[in-house]
Amino acid sequence: MSLASSIRTIAVWEMNRSMTTMGRNVLPLAVGLLVLLVLVTVFAAESGVHMQDGIYRIGIDEPEVARIVAPDNRFTVEVADGPALWSNRFAYDIVILRGEVYAADTGKGRAALTALKRDYEAYASQIAAEQPDLFAGYPLWIDLQYVKSEIDFLATQSGQQIGAPADAREPPIPSGPAEAVTLPPSAIQVSEDDLRQHLAGMESDHPLSRYTGIISGGSATDGLRTPSQLSPPLPYDALILVFVFIFPLYFTSQFFMMSVMNERVGRAGEALLAAPVRPSAIVIGKAIPYLAIMLLVSAAITLFIGAPLAILLPLIPVILFFLANALIIGMAARSFKELSFVSIFFSTLATSYLFFPTVFANTHVVSIISPLTLVILELQGEGFTAAEYVYSTALFFATSAVLFYAGTINFREERLFSEKSLTSRLTDFIAGAIGRGRPHLSLFLLSAFTIPFVFMAQMMTLVLFFNIPMPLSLVLLTVSAAFIEEVAKSAGLYAIASERPGFLTAKNLLIGAAVIGLGFLAGEKLLLFATLSQITESVFGSVLFLSLQVLWMPLLLHIAGVLITGTFLLAGGKRAYVPGLVVASVVHSLYNLHFLLGGLL
Amino acid sequence: MNARYIGLIAKKEFLGLSSEKTIIFAVLLQVFIAMFSSFLMVGLTAMYDPEALEGYSTVAYGVGYAGADSALIDEFEKRDDLVLHRMDLSAALRALRDRKVAAVVYVPDTPPDAEGPVAITLYLIQNDLQSSVINVKVKEVLQGYERELREVRADRMVSFPVGLNFPGTGDAESFYEFVYGLLLPLLVLLPAVISAALIIDLITEEYQRQTLDTLLSTPVTFNEMIFGKIAACWAIVPVQAGAWILLLEANGIAVGNPVPILLHVSAAGLFLILLGAATALHYRERTSAQFVFSTGLVVVFLLVMAIPYNPLNLVVRLAVETADPVHWPILLLVSGATVLLALAVAAYGRRVGEVSPATAR
Repeated sequence: MSLASSIRTIAVWEMNRSMTTMGRNVLPLAVGLLVLLVLVTVFAAESGVHMQDGIYRIGIDEPEVARIVAPDNRFTVEVADGPALWSNRFAYDIVILRGEVYAADTGKGRAALTALKRDYEAYASQIAAEQPDLFAGYPLWIDLQYVKSEIDFLATQSGQQIGAPADAREPPIPSGPAEAVTLPPSAIQVSEDDLRQHLAGMESDHPLSRYTGIISGGSATDGLRTPSQLSPPLPYDALILVFVFIFPLYFTSQFFMMSVMNERVGRAGEALLAAPVRPSAIVIGKAIPYLAIMLLVSAAITLFIGAPLAILLPLIPVILFFLANALIIGMAARSFKELSFVSIFFSTLATSYLFFPTVFANTHVVSIISPLTLVILELQGEGFTAAEYVYSTALFFATSAVLFYAGTINFREERLFSEKSLTSRLTDFIAGAIGRGRPHLSLFLLSAFTIPFVFMAQMMTLVLFFNIPMPLSLVLLTVSAAFIEEVAKSAGLYAIASERPGFLTAKNLLIGAAVIGLGFLAGEKLLLFATLSQITESVFGSVLFLSLQVLWMPLLLHIAGVLITGTFLLAGGKRAYVPGLVVASVVHSLYNLHFLLGGLL
Repeated sequence: MNARYIGLIAKKEFLGLSSEKTIIFAVLLQVFIAMFSSFLMVGLTAMYDPEALEGYSTVAYGVGYAGADSALIDEFEKRDDLVLHRMDLSAALRALRDRKVAAVVYVPDTPPDAEGPVAITLYLIQNDLQSSVINVKVKEVLQGYERELREVRADRMVSFPVGLNFPGTGDAESFYEFVYGLLLPLLVLLPAVISAALIIDLITEEYQRQTLDTLLSTPVTFNEMIFGKIAACWAIVPVQAGAWILLLEANGIAVGNPVPILLHVSAAGLFLILLGAATALHYRERTSAQFVFSTGLVVVFLLVMAIPYNPLNLVVRLAVETADPVHWPILLLVSGATVLLALAVAAYGRRVGEVSPATAR
């Protein structure tokens, strides 16, 4: 059979098998649960969320005042006469006597006070809205306008934090000529009736509308509000997108993970492996139905929220990434519970990698590490360029390709059905990638292929440490970057040492270290060339990608790092691996710091 | 059912958990989350209550002011964290784009006692954490201005709110409701959810790996095997929840009534575990069981949260020491429902275990 036709056969077979068993058993109950979900949601919307009921106790001496907190479930209200309340005041978080508010001097008392102030605001607005003269009740209206401003990635280098402007006391001097703007009109363009409706609408708004509003557009009166309606913009609106787009993808990839796992349970996949098809056809064929489902789900969501279909472009690498990881996890987990825990762990990591960069939405270079940022840009109608697309998705494509490759070459009987522990199976997978005939060439390629993963891990640390004050962020970044690189470089050596202990001789170690160092450098150069030029220009870039400046120095460093870990492995066996890693990382960090600070060594 | 056999099965599952080091992943996961805790704290609080962000910032921000003179200038001068710079609107917007000021207000020359409203324009930086902070600060200033305008126009009002005199603004407490009202109940209930997912893995694995025969050829009955697994999953619930409470205490977050909280969590946890076990017994296949169970879990949680005095709310009330003794009868009620569910699972297990080992084999 040709590759294409065998892929098709496997894909159709996978589709039939999983869809029919899932469909027959799960569909009726799933439909039932969906109906229940709708009913429960309606009920919950009616009844409200009763999570924080009665956490504060409040004592009030006038029933009229008690009306203020009546709609708020958080308060347990007791109306009593003044002296009784006062003598018993320590039993309450807040006591209101003749219009004076007394709050307990505790964290809880202050929290209760904040809640009471908000309730009072709502009450006062309600009274104001009842006025026949609208502009007596609401004399002040605010038109909120947003201005786009992006900051330079290099800003934090000069010690400036993203959160605060340099010095507010000094009068600001604009950096360039100011373009003329038309002054806003002094009268409101919206009729009084519309404003009243707008007020009434705000009153009945569900708290969730703030979140759904991000996806759907606003109304005509949008932007016009009273001071009490001024609610801060949601700084992390990307999280909503994670919920909307990423979770369905994650769930579908779970089915793929399980399908791979099921082949291994009770050697069920033996027949499949014995069939005259190549492992690559099996892997691709099995993955295609899930890929199609994920694309369809994303397209359906996109159409549902009325967004442009270009959103799908940045989602494709994310989908591939999820599938690739699902394949590896499904192949590596020993039992169902291990599968559960590892996949939860992976999803937490992946979600944070996708989500955290978007927090720095104004620091373009950092935020665009995540393809989700492209989704946001597209939703905001700004779009993205091809260069930005390459920049933010290259790592996802590269890691997915490497993982799929590793999964395919290890999709063999002896790997799939072994009962080893997770780490030794992963080691096996890496060892499987090292050809017996040409181990050195394999080591070279292997270390080049780890580069995308190293970059991903380092990007994560960059995002994490980016906004920490300067010296600390550099040190943390240096040390973690060195550690990540040393782990990646020594992984191949470790795998080969545990599979073929005889291989690790002094001579082979020297050659191995040299080719690993070379491979690492080559991979680093290639990927850097393709993608990240702006980061490499900053101080952070010089920490992560120091090697761009001079070539032979980093090469020696990479080789030395592998040699240190390798020597530990050679002398002390697998137990000495971790100490070796630590020593290599220390050496690596010192080298980096030496270059950064100049003359530390 | 023989308690000794149940204990044996539970022990076997414990050994399996520790030998596979899955527990290490669980710990790693929690450490990872703890790494981001400060970030999560800011982030989640901002999601939950954006106005709490204000407490985060202690620096002063520059605000550009353009347009006519107004009482708003005096309102700004009352604050030491906002510095007003009077400038031309276009220059101010340019400065905002350069981040030299944090916000710009434009005030038209509408007199305070005019017929129509005073319509001012507020410019902020889009999609920015700083804008959220500024928004809250400026909001307070504008509310002050609104009060003033209302006083000027008071003769046009027909009714007035009851006056309340709030004590001088101390430090606003922003994290209290988030920590006690959201974080704590989620943390102590998380182990229950994990255990419920675990029981599905444990039961479906016996079916799918066809290891049931070996187990049942021993003197252990089907139901003893099921309840041994349930016992193992249940035992780790209060331990983990207790660890979370200790951890919170170590971070200076005092949790009241830990013992009643653990009792509530254990009862609710067992209920979820039994629900998971029933799903697993029905499907005998992990993918379907986990899918149906996780969907069902959403339904259960939504339903529970919509009921007053639900266990989550009771945990919150207990932790902040405002619980009435009514929580005891509710605990009894939940425990009763759990016992009923356990009996139902036992009956189902007897049916499934006696009738269909042939199909399971």
